[in-house]
Parts: sequence; structure tokens; C-alpha cells
Amino acid sequence: MGTAPEILPGTLDLLILRTLGGGTKHGYGIAQHLKLVSEDVLQVGESSLYPALQRLLLNGWVKAEWGASENNRRARYYTLTTAGRKQLTRERQEFDRMIGAIHKVFESA
Amino acid sequence: MKTVRRIRYFFRQRQMERELAEEIEFHRRISGQPREMGNITQAREDARAVWIWPWLQSVWQDVGYAIRNLRRQPGFTLMALLALGTAIGLNTSLVTVFNAVALRPWPVKDPSRTVRIFTRSPQPTNGVYGLTGVSIAEFRYLAEHTRALSGIVSLAQRRVYFGFEPFGKGSTAILVGADHFRVLGADLLIGRGFLPEEDRPAAPEAVMVLNYGVWRDHFGSDPAILGKRIPVNDVPFTVVGVSAETLTLNGGREDVWIPLSANQLLFPNDPSQRDWLSSPRACCEPIGGRLAPGVTRDRARAELEVLSSQFRSAQGAQGSAIFVLTDPKILAGDPEASPIMRIFGAMFVGVTLIVLLACANVGNLLVARAAARQREIEVRRAIGAGRARIVRQLLTESLVLALGAAGIGVLIAFRFPAFALARLTDDEVPSFPLTPDATVLAYVIGLALFACLCFGLAPALHGTHPRPMRSRLKLRSWLLASQVALSVILLTGAGLMLEGVRRAAHRDLGFTIDGVRVTNLELPASALNQTVIRSFAANLQSELLGVTGSDHFALTVRAPLENNWSTSYRLPQETREQLKRIDNQQVSPGYFETLGIPLVSGRDFGPGDAGRPVIVVNETVARHWEHNDAVGKTLVVAGTPREIIGVAKNTYAERLDQIGPVLYQPLTGWDSPKVILRSGTQETASKVEDVARRILPGTRVQTVPLSTYVDRRLGASRAGAQIAGLLGVFALALATVGMFGVFAYAVQQRTKEIGIRMALGARPAQVVGAVIASSSRAIAAGLVVGFMAALVGSRLIAQYLYGVSPLDPRTYLLVAAILASAALAASYLPSHRAAKIDPLTALRHE
Repeated sequence: MGTAPEILPGTLDLLILRTLGGGTKHGYGIAQHLKLVSEDVLQVGESSLYPALQRLLLNGWVKAEWGASENNRRARYYTLTTAGRKQLTRERQEFDRMIGAIHKVFESA
Repeated sequence: MKTVRRIRYFFRQRQMERELAEEIEFHRRISGQPREMGNITQAREDARAVWIWPWLQSVWQDVGYAIRNLRRQPGFTLMALLALGTAIGLNTSLVTVFNAVALRPWPVKDPSRTVRIFTRSPQPTNGVYGLTGVSIAEFRYLAEHTRALSGIVSLAQRRVYFGFEPFGKGSTAILVGADHFRVLGADLLIGRGFLPEEDRPAAPEAVMVLNYGVWRDHFGSDPAILGKRIPVNDVPFTVVGVSAETLTLNGGREDVWIPLSANQLLFPNDPSQRDWLSSPRACCEPIGGRLAPGVTRDRARAELEVLSSQFRSAQGAQGSAIFVLTDPKILAGDPEASPIMRIFGAMFVGVTLIVLLACANVGNLLVARAAARQREIEVRRAIGAGRARIVRQLLTESLVLALGAAGIGVLIAFRFPAFALARLTDDEVPSFPLTPDATVLAYVIGLALFACLCFGLAPALHGTHPRPMRSRLKLRSWLLASQVALSVILLTGAGLMLEGVRRAAHRDLGFTIDGVRVTNLELPASALNQTVIRSFAANLQSELLGVTGSDHFALTVRAPLENNWSTSYRLPQETREQLKRIDNQQVSPGYFETLGIPLVSGRDFGPGDAGRPVIVVNETVARHWEHNDAVGKTLVVAGTPREIIGVAKNTYAERLDQIGPVLYQPLTGWDSPKVILRSGTQETASKVEDVARRILPGTRVQTVPLSTYVDRRLGASRAGAQIAGLLGVFALALATVGMFGVFAYAVQQRTKEIGIRMALGARPAQVVGAVIASSSRAIAAGLVVGFMAALVGSRLIAQYLYGVSPLDPRTYLLVAAILASAALAASYLPSHRAAKIDPLTALRHE
């Protein structure tokens, strides 16, 4: 699909939740944040970002509201819901467990 | 929650998509990359798909899985489809008929704005307000002055003859105003409707519009028919149009439309027909109309009442009529409507019980299958499927099954109603459409969903329950008990009806049937008027004396049990609120003797009684006076006082189910007579026919035995009882299969226990007895509940039982015996298997 390196499958949702954990952001803001924090490793395109956001809306983990952006344009801002916060904690633990496990496998070799 | 959000998305889809597009647009602009990675449309598609696609996919998966599963068990699937499909088919057939007569609107444009218009009688008869119409003169006045209605149509009927009709049928002409088709909103296939100048009483025009069906069947769909002159009642009428489709408003036949004014051309020799057109006192014809835009029925009704009282006071009449505006449905305004509704009600209860029964049966099969699928369900749970997900899967299977059965049901409903109705009414296929329409299809889908929940939910919940073993047997017992109860109800109802018909067929009806012949006469319509009919009857009466010799004969207007005419009566001292219905028969002198009906007191009519206000009543009416001295007293019949000259013994010559009040009056001359003749020879009968043809040339004749009418009347009831019996047998078959299933399951579950008992020395009979007994409790409970429900429910059908008590003990005993033998039969195979259990093998069971 895209030319940019794919993010580990299933982790994009977690990354978005984590990003929103730091406060309300619009779609572009989320993409920028990921790019910035990961030092340009994670470049998320619209084609994967917006389906992911819709998925989170459907599951009720984020909610969306229209507001004015920095340059006074209409933009949709996403906020983490309580259910989303719980999901973040749950997925975070699961992710850590998985990474730990993968790590151990590599160490043992 | 997720489902709620999904549904909300569904309803606000357009807004949601617009917002998404705007959002992506914003992203693209702010990032300053007009063509950032990937295609924008693709991104939008993907984002949108999140909402619908996975759900649709999982449903599709479930359906596919369900179909595979059902195909793997063809026996079960076939049995379930057959039971459910037949049950749904029977149910839907009834609803199809009900829909056709009670729900379907007129087949015209914008039917919701059409109404039928009646006037209500100021006094009730037997507690019911009769609905009638208005005189044609009043109809003209209303049609001319109304503003609340954009038009009023006359629905007056006349029996007319083209010459191609079979004996005794005639064709039905509807006499209409010039704007009939415009007001109704009915299209014509070719030609035109009537012009105002074609409906002037002073200068009537012989023009007509043919109904599509008549044009197709009798005129070979001839497109050049416009302008042709075709004789109606021997008077040539010019065809000016043909309707676009077979148009029938109220379920009756409508063969041809003729302008009201042309009525006098149809009956040139009958001055009363001219009065009918202009006299405000002429009787009441049915009318209908179309509400003007924005006008409510109430406002239209109020306007009609004002107009009506204006019209009546201009005519010097007092008071105004009470108007009633109803939906234009076939049954609206029919005095028989409420008994018909009761029959529908009783039948609907029957066919709904059948559906429930089929559900119980399929439910039982599903429980048994769930036991077999225990392993599969456990595997699915083990790999992480939640209980809700598995229940959903199982319910999808039930739904697939139910929808398949609904399909079969609809197929049945396309064929069965016309077939059954033809048998019940002993008539040609009814002229109104009798096939399922959108309303019925919606009903079937609803019924399928209901059935699916009925038979699918409990087994699905039970099958997925962590520890289902004991409760499963309990559920099956419940299902079995309800199956037994339902079949008891249906069998009892059918049994009572069959017993009623059997008794009615063997009952002494109180009049002679054997050897009595009825000669029906069809007089040439164009020649008729009251004087002609009267003198025809008088000539016939006197000339027949010469040919019949010692055989008894009499004239009447309808044979015993042919049909019913009724009017109202009261005693002179009673008020108009106390009007009661009474069956009304017109007879010549000799009627009672010919039919062997004894006169209890008084005398028969004599030659001098013609046209005099004298009547003979039956014993039921005579009971108004003590000591049998009704003779010489006065009875007010339809508003006119009549003197009672005789009392005849009660007979079943009017109704088979009961004997009500009956009055006999001399022939009025309004209706064509027929001859009843008690004679051993066909020769005398043909002499009677010859005499009739000689007196009035052009008369058609047909002689049939009197028993024809009795058989026809019984035939309808017999067919009704047979249909009920069919339902009962179907119910019994389902219940037997159900009982078999439960017995077999019980034996299989307790194989080990049975083995142990046998090893300890129990005799096979004892063991089998114990197993059967434990399952029989459900059957006994079902029997008790079923009989109690039948005791209550059979009162509903009491009036169709011809005097058999709804509590008739023989029927109940018979039903109990039938079910007991069914239970025995169902237990035979399982108990045989139980008795052959080898203790050693049984102990190794599982």
C-alpha cells in the first residue's frame, strides 16, 4: 500500500490512544505528534490514520468534536473517553507483556 | 453500545461522511502536501468501511456457516422446514384471505382518500345498527352540492343478461353517475368514461363500459369493440370503454358499468324502475366517494348530514339521516361482518396454535441437536468465542430455517386460499384477488422472526449454558407438554365441528326432502315488472293444477336452505328499539303441504290472500302469545302491521344450526318465483318446465332435487370441519414426533441406569415402565391443560356446532383416546430399545 514503513500491525490504535492521553488533538496533530516523538520513524498517512480513528469512534474509546484550529480553520478534535483510558491501560499492559516475551525469545538465542 | 453507535451512524451516514471528507481535506491542506501518501478516496472508503463492513462480514459468515450446518443434517432440516413451512403456510393463507376482504383498499389511485358512505338506522335491530345507503334522488343531490368530497359515486347494482351467462347467474351491472371513473381514480384501457349528456333521465343513452375481465373472456379482447352495439337485456348498448384491469370494489362481481339514467332502458316494462331513479322514497343504494384535499372524514360526514336534511326538508320529509363514513374495505358495512370477524378470529387462533406447535416441535429437535453439538460448542468456547457470539450463531441458524420456512409458507399462500375458499363457498373462484401482497409478505417476515425466537432462543440459551444437562430435559418436557396441549385444543375443536356436521346431516330437518324437486326459472329480464311477475305466478299456479295431477306443488321465491332473507319485526305494543330480525319467506298456497310441514293452528294461504297483509309464522314467533293463540294477532313487519293467519311447525328449512323466528308471506311479485314439486316422476317435472316456458316465452328453466340445497349448505360446514380436522391431524403428527423424540432421548440418557437395574434383576417391563412414566408426566400435564383450554375455547365455535354442546363428553373422550394411542405408538420404539439393553454393554456406555 504505502511507501512508508508499516507500523507493527495493531499498534496504531494503541499509539493514537497514548497520544490522546496527553490531551485533545486533531487528526493532523496526532500524525505530527507521532512523527515528532518517534524522530521521523513513525510516519502515519491519512489512509491508515482515519480508518483507525473511525474504529476508535465505533468502539467508543474516543469522542470527536469540531473546533477552531490554530490558524482558525474548522478541525475535528479527538478526546480520550473513560472507556478509552481503560482500554489504553489494558492494551499497554498486553503490549508490554508481548514485547517482553519477544525480547526473551531473542535473548535466549 | 457498539450496536447503538453503529445504528446511529447508519441514520446520520451522510453527515458523517461529509465530516470525514472535510477532516481529511483539512489534514491535506495543513500538511502542505496536496498528494500525500495514498489516495484520498481510498482513505475515505477505508475509514467508512470500519462502521459497516466487519459486521456485515460476520453476519454473512454466520449465514454461510448456518447453511453448511443445515445441509449437513438433511433429515432434520427437511423435517423442520416441512413442519414450520406448512404451519406458516396455513397461517399466511388465512391472513391472505383476511387481508383481501378486510384490509385491502379499493384498487384505485390514492385509495386512502376514498370512503364508503352509509346512513345508519336510528334504531338498532337485535342490538345492531343497520347500515344502508340513500335513494338515487338523494345521491344526485349530495353529489351536486358536496364540497367536502371531490365526488360521490353510486355503487347500485342490477342483475342483467348479455346472454352468455350460465343458468341462474346473470351479469352484474353497476349503475353509475357520469363522473364515476374520474372520481374513483380508475383508468380505462381503451375508450372513455361517460359524458354528462349520457346520464340525463329525460334522454337516457344506451352506453356502457365493460370490465376488463368480461371484455377478455367474452369478447376475445377485441380492440375494435368501441362503438359496437351489444344487447343487454335484449336492448342494444354501445360500448364506449373498457376498464384497465378487472376492477371490483367490494368483492362482488362488476361486469359492466351503465349510466344511472339508462336503467329505464334496461327494464322498459317496469315503471317502478323509473320511480327508483327519481323518487326520494325509493330504497337505499350503496354509495362511496373521494374526500376533497385536506378534508377529514368527520367534516365530510357533517357536511353530508347538513345536505341530507336540506334535501329531506325540501321533499317535505322529517329529520335527517345519520351518516357513517368507513374505509372502503370489502367487509365494511356488511351486516355479516362481525360474525365473519369472529370466524376469522377463531380460525386465526387455530392457525396460530399450529405455528406455535411447529415451533415447539422444531425447538425440541434443536434441543436434541444441541446435545449432539455440545462438543462443537465447547471447542468454539475454548478458542475464545463468547456465549453471546455462540447464541448469535445458533440464532442465525434458526433464522435461516425460519426464513426458508416462510418461503415455503408464501408458496402455499399463493395456492391454498383460492382452493379452500372455492370448497367452502361452493362457488366459482371469488372475483377479488386472493394472493399475498406486500402487507402479507411483511406479515410473513414478522411471523418468521417471531417463530425463530420462539423455537430458537430457548434451545440456544440452554445449549450454551455451562451445565445444561438437567435443565435440558426439563425444557424438553415443557415443550412436549405444550405440544400435547396444543394438539388437544385443535383436535377437540375439529372433533366437535365434525360431530356437529355429522349430526346435522342425520337430523330430521322437519320438512320433506326426498322426492322433492325444485324448478328454477329465469324470466326474460326486459319483459319484467311486478304485474308481469304476479300474473305469471297466478297463471303458473292455475295451469300447473292441470299437469301435476295428484302431486303436491307450490311456488316460492327461494328453496329451503337456498339462502336467507330477513327483515325486522316487533309486537304492536313494543317500541322501535325492540326490533328483532326474522327470516322471511314468500310462498304460494300449498307450500306447507308440499314440504310436509304441519300447521299447528290456523290455516294455509288461500287464493284470495295474494296481496293481503297476512302472514303465517313459525312456532318460535307464536311463543310470544300464551296458549298457542297467535292466530288472529298482529305482528309489525318492516313497519307494516300484518295479521297472523296460521302457525307452522318449526323446521330447519331456513338455517341448519338453529331455529329462529320465521315468517311466511304471499308472493309479492317483486321476485321471480320457482316451483317446488313433490313428485315421483321426472315426467311431471318436465311438464312443469314446459308450462312455465309456454306462459312466458324466453323463460329459461332448470330442475334440481331439493337435496342439492341441503347438501350445499352442509358442504360448506363439512369443508370447514375438514379443514379444522386437517389442522388437528397435522398437530397430532407433530406432537407424536415430539413425544417420540422425548422418549428416545430419555432412554438414551438413562441407558446406564437401565443397565444397572437390569443387572440387579429388574424385569424389562418394569424398567421400561419407569422410563416412560417419568416422561409421561409432561404428556399428562399437556392433556390436562389442553382440555381445560378446549373447554373454554370451544365456546367460541359453539354456533357452528349445530347444537352439539361445546362440552360434548364423547368428543373429549375420543381425543383423549387418540392422544393416548399416539403416545403409546411414540413410546413403542424407544421402550423396545430400552428392553433390549444388554447390562454389560450399558455399563460400558459413554
